[in-house]
Amino acid sequence: MTDAKKSEVLQGTLDLMILKTLQALGRQHGFGIARRIEQVSRDVLQLNEGTVYTSLLRLLQQKWIAAEWGTSDNNRRAKFYSITARGEKQLAVEKENWERISGVVGRVLQLEGEK
Amino acid sequence: MGNGRIFWLRAFAARALGLFGLRKRDSDFDEEVQAHLQLLVDRFVAQGMLQEEAAAAARRQFGNTTLLQEDRRELRTLVSVEDLGRDLHYALRSLRRSLAFAAVAIATLGLAIGASTAIFSVIDNVLLEPFPYKDAGRLVFLRIQDTSRGEEGGRQGYTSNELLEFAEQNHVFDDVIGASEDLVLYKRGEGVEQLYGVHVTPGTFEFFGMPALYGRVMQPADYQPGAPPVFVMRHRTWMERFNGDPEVLNKSFVLNGTARTLIGIMPPRFGWFEADVLIPETPVRGVSTGFAGLPATWFLLGRLKASVSKEQAAADATVIANHLAKINPQDYPAHFQVLVKKLGDTVIGRFESTLYTILAAVGLLLLIGCGNVANLMLARATSREKEFALRAVLGAGRARLVRLLLVESLVLAVGGAALGVLIAWGGLKLIAAAMPQDLIPAESVIELNAPVMFFTLVVAVLTALIFGLAPALQATRRDLNDPVRDSCKGVIGGFRTGRMRDTVVVMEVAVSLTLLIGTGLLMRSFVALREVHLGLQADHVLQTQLPLPEDRYKTAAQVRGFFQPLLARVKALPGVVDATESTSLPPYGFQNSKIEISGKAHQDEWHTLVQQVSEGYFRVLRIPFKVGRAFSEAEINDARKLAVVNETFVSTYLRGEDPMGRRVKLAGLETLADPVRDPWFEIVGVVADVTNQGLQAPIESEVWVPYTVTGSGPQVLMVRSQQTPMALMNDVRRAVWATDAGVALAFPSALEDRISQRLYAGPRFAFLLMAIFGCLGLILVTVGVYSVLAYATARKTHEIGIRMALGAERSDVLRLVIRAGLRLVTAGIAIGLFVSLLLGRAIEAQLSRGVKHYDPATLGGTTLLLMGTAALACWIPARRAARVDPMVALRYE
Repeated sequence: MTDAKKSEVLQGTLDLMILKTLQALGRQHGFGIARRIEQVSRDVLQLNEGTVYTSLLRLLQQKWIAAEWGTSDNNRRAKFYSITARGEKQLAVEKENWERISGVVGRVLQLEGEK
Repeated sequence: MGNGRIFWLRAFAARALGLFGLRKRDSDFDEEVQAHLQLLVDRFVAQGMLQEEAAAAARRQFGNTTLLQEDRRELRTLVSVEDLGRDLHYALRSLRRSLAFAAVAIATLGLAIGASTAIFSVIDNVLLEPFPYKDAGRLVFLRIQDTSRGEEGGRQGYTSNELLEFAEQNHVFDDVIGASEDLVLYKRGEGVEQLYGVHVTPGTFEFFGMPALYGRVMQPADYQPGAPPVFVMRHRTWMERFNGDPEVLNKSFVLNGTARTLIGIMPPRFGWFEADVLIPETPVRGVSTGFAGLPATWFLLGRLKASVSKEQAAADATVIANHLAKINPQDYPAHFQVLVKKLGDTVIGRFESTLYTILAAVGLLLLIGCGNVANLMLARATSREKEFALRAVLGAGRARLVRLLLVESLVLAVGGAALGVLIAWGGLKLIAAAMPQDLIPAESVIELNAPVMFFTLVVAVLTALIFGLAPALQATRRDLNDPVRDSCKGVIGGFRTGRMRDTVVVMEVAVSLTLLIGTGLLMRSFVALREVHLGLQADHVLQTQLPLPEDRYKTAAQVRGFFQPLLARVKALPGVVDATESTSLPPYGFQNSKIEISGKAHQDEWHTLVQQVSEGYFRVLRIPFKVGRAFSEAEINDARKLAVVNETFVSTYLRGEDPMGRRVKLAGLETLADPVRDPWFEIVGVVADVTNQGLQAPIESEVWVPYTVTGSGPQVLMVRSQQTPMALMNDVRRAVWATDAGVALAFPSALEDRISQRLYAGPRFAFLLMAIFGCLGLILVTVGVYSVLAYATARKTHEIGIRMALGAERSDVLRLVIRAGLRLVTAGIAIGLFVSLLLGRAIEAQLSRGVKHYDPATLGGTTLLLMGTAALACWIPARRAARVDPMVALRYE
């Protein structure tokens, strides 16, 4: 049970990161997103890149992102994802949530340290 | 978290859509994954890895693609087909392993679903959608109700004047039509036959909005004076009398002496006025005579305007009626109101509440059924705790376990629904056959229909969800380790689920008792109805109406010229004891008349029922005389103005006085088509009271006079026979034809059968169905109590073993188990009694006079019955427990 909970937090975080990536970089394919997250996390996060696709599907279902087939830089067929207006709104909400929660968690952890 | 629901809904929609086009998306995804892997490989190779090394590293970094694929499928669709198939397989296997459980569950569900489907079908066909007419819900008729009389009833026939006034002056109807009944004689072969006809006003067929099945309906031109006479026939009549022969269309028939062309056959569900034939007639102002020489009366049917309520219509009609009452005060009670009634009320009336009572009963039955199955499932889930714990430990997610249980219950529900539909189909045939035909609209067709099937499916699925989910959640909520470790099966075993099961049993017993008490009350009521003393002997009497052709039978002398020889002929038939003419059939009197009594002054209006009869009437029906005598044959033939009255008449108007020789003026006889001049009648006899307003209503005062005083009024022949009355029918028919070949028997039957059909059919139907449902409820509850106790006892085998090892006697064990069971039953009975007393008022309207909803005998009897059955259900597992061998029990894991 506890395993599932941990991965859930991770999933949610991954969703958030992908949304943010798409907002910052615009249209991207899955590989591009994975590279960007790898680059930003600087190897702190161990990421099974396949899970990016699960996350993308979940975001698609909520219509926060859109997908279409296109051609990549090296002329390969690839599926490109982009953030929707609805996704932008959700990102703002999630971002605020995240900041609030991480703020609280940070303060709590600090309290622990003072003891 | 309102948002949460939206997210969930969106995902659900996407998944539901995902059920389609699964394969294409999968190949898309494969392509995407392959591209990604290739890019990773390219990257690793660029970093200096060997091709094979790079491929492995890429796969490592990407993760397990198979798992991913599964994740995606789960995300994308509701249930994957493979998983569903596996669950179905598991479910069937585990159900097969406990066949008895599955059989009981499916049978219980099937009974409950079947019964409710059948009853819902009947309700839908008879009450909700009986009429196939345009805007049937807005069709209403008007009734003038005397407000000084408490009970329902009143006049709903109107003169041509009134019909036209209502039709022209109202502001609330789109359309108004009139219908006026007529007994139609037509020549066929050597004799005549009789049909029930109705005269319809212009616009009638447009009003109903139904085209003819064959031929055409009436056009405005058909109502014009001088138009060629035509008529339209009902489908049933066409089938029964003419074997559905299409050749009869456009043929000419002589109806009541007029040659009319049959222009159309209506579709099967057209049943306006239950008429065999429909004849066009334009109502005209001024007095006209109708059926049997009585003033023509029109039944008035209007279609409410879309925005008008029944109350508004009543107010509007009251204005018109008040105006009419000023012109013809004799036709209206001093204080009246106009009631606006739905078309369905013409026939259904009291029967409606009967059907709703039965629907309620079936609802209770369904409740018991679901309770039973829920209990079975709970018990089963509890005994499978370990199995589920094991599955969970081996990695089954909670959702997966819940789904597995859900599939199991769905399998049961689908089985139950299928069986239910079968039961409903068979039950509906039985119900339709038992249905009192006079109490339901002729237009209604009782069959399983689409909305009803939908209802069944909803019931089945809901039941599955309810009884499947509750135990499923309970079974999976537990901590994983707990049941695995819990090898000892229950000194306390399953405390929480135990309480839930107990609650269900208590509820079931309560509901079942409510159902049984309802059944018992209806039975009492039916028996009470059968015991109503008619005041006459209806057995061995043949009755038939004899509508006389109006052109040849207008005057009293003409009517006497028919009946005098006919009665002589009939009395001479072998096997005939006596015969009489009359205007109506028991237990109903004929028309109501205002009266005056010589030497009695009074302010208020006095009324009495009046019947015209021949001298044999009181002998044929065996009505005893209290004082005085009957008419003699000579007095009848001389049309002497003599009267026989009933006891109620004397006690109402001549209390404490000698009625003999008093003179009564029957004002109603003055307004007949063949009026009686100076209608003062001398009382020569007083008879005992005979029911004359049906079985339930109190007896009215009544006066009998010789039929020879007027040629108006319907004619009925009653014959007392030595043998079965119907055996006389052909002889009687021949006697009628020998007297006048142009007269036909109408609706001949044994008087007893007719009374029973008209009056007992509704209550008998209600009682019959309630009895069936009551028994089913009792059976289900017995199974319920038994299964719970048997299960609880089985779980306690270990405990019982210990008790016995420590010296408990078999009788102690027996007592222990029975007491546990009876405690639940008693609680249920207490609640059931309370609820029954509370709900009793609802059923009160269904009961005969004199039967109270708290009838102690019924309450006591049903309680005892339930108690006894439940005790039996407790006793069987108790005995089994008492037989437990302590050694075996203790070793028993």
